[in-house]
Amino acid sequence: MSRPNQPVTAGATELAALLVRVADGDAAAFQAFYDRTSAKLFGVILRILIERQESEDVLQEVYLIVWRKAATFDASKASPITWAATIARNRAIDRLRARPPRAHVPMESAFDSVDDGPAQDAGLIHDQDARRIAVALAALEPRHAAAIRACYFDGVTYDELAAREQVPVGTLKSWVRRGLIRLRDQLEGSQA
Amino acid sequence: MSQQPQPSGLDGLTELEALAMDHALGGGSRAERKAAELRLLSDPEFRAAVERWQVMLAPLDDVTPGIAPPPSVWAGIAGEIEPPPRRAAPQPAVSGGWWNSVGLWRGLAFAGPVLAAVAVAVLVQPDAVAPGVPATVAGGPALVATLADADGRPLIAAAYDPASGQVRFAPVAAGDQSTAGKVPELWVIEGKNPPRSLGVIDIAAGRSQAIPRDRLAGLKAGAILAISIEPTGGSPTGAPTGQVIATGKLSAA
Repeated sequence: MSRPNQPVTAGATELAALLVRVADGDAAAFQAFYDRTSAKLFGVILRILIERQESEDVLQEVYLIVWRKAATFDASKASPITWAATIARNRAIDRLRARPPRAHVPMESAFDSVDDGPAQDAGLIHDQDARRIAVALAALEPRHAAAIRACYFDGVTYDELAAREQVPVGTLKSWVRRGLIRLRDQLEGSQA
Repeated sequence: MSQQPQPSGLDGLTELEALAMDHALGGGSRAERKAAELRLLSDPEFRAAVERWQVMLAPLDDVTPGIAPPPSVWAGIAGEIEPPPRRAAPQPAVSGGWWNSVGLWRGLAFAGPVLAAVAVAVLVQPDAVAPGVPATVAGGPALVATLADADGRPLIAAAYDPASGQVRFAPVAAGDQSTAGKVPELWVIEGKNPPRSLGVIDIAAGRSQAIPRDRLAGLKAGAILAISIEPTGGSPTGAPTGQVIATGKLSAA
């Protein structure tokens, strides 16, 4: 059970305290939680769905889930923002998968997004964990890193990526899995 | 093609770990994601693996710029969560026993008018347990579960009373699942065993009902209740064949 040490920041502690009150049905605490987290969650959702109205709908769904599930938040497993952002990503991806196939915006190769990859991202990073994972990602084989980024940030499926790269899905999955394992190993190594 | 040996670097990667990665990263198809979500409910080892990968990947979100949503989003949320104060007002005078306990109904508050109707239905339901009798009278603690859809939206409250050996259901939200020729069937998932049928149920609005005692022997906290949509008469195979519309975990009342 190796868990990345997530430093408990003051912000995380406050958000966790808010969630405890949300679990008790405290609407004011819920609004405070929303005010502090909604821009981040909206960014995550919008990046996957692109379409604005749909993203707003999903954001609303996500906060209703947060309201209902606040009691299940476990601070020993994840920070409040990680917990909430994970719900947001999952809902956005599920919404994307539910779209009729042809409604997908035909994306340029996901691998183009490598261009706005590590170097550019680095300037925006303030959190130490974020910097570490960006460095680890940049050290991966480029096509592995690109596949991971396309799935994580844009919600692209393995099937779509495999078709674009003209490789069998099994090959693409092994790129991703090998990449993730390396990523984990590097992160664990950099913590020691 | 999937029979090829794993390329180097993946030796010893378990299927569980591979699927956990896939789910945390999100690259699976709709069907694969649904399957993973069901497994999350019944397999703690899988859940722990998914959570580890999610936590590992989460710092990536830092590079995604935050974008303030328009005020209409909060307005929509606030409209859904502020329950009309009607719930607080008519506190039942009767001490309602465990099925009426705070634990059972809390968190369902926002279900609003439908919930109010259900609470009444449950209150007038005669029962083996006298009001006020502690939940643990006979055969272990009473158990309750709120069965929610994939988004955590509560659909049905279930309560197991070991004294009478019955499970009662109360819909907490109007379902839109009423498909002609289809019926909801209740399942219990205990540990890693395959789902076991507790029979076809009727969750039409406003009804509570019971399940025969013999099907409920050994029901314990931690078991998962699930409802799937099956052909009239119930699943022909003995395992869920249709869409799972709601799941929930049994916990002590």
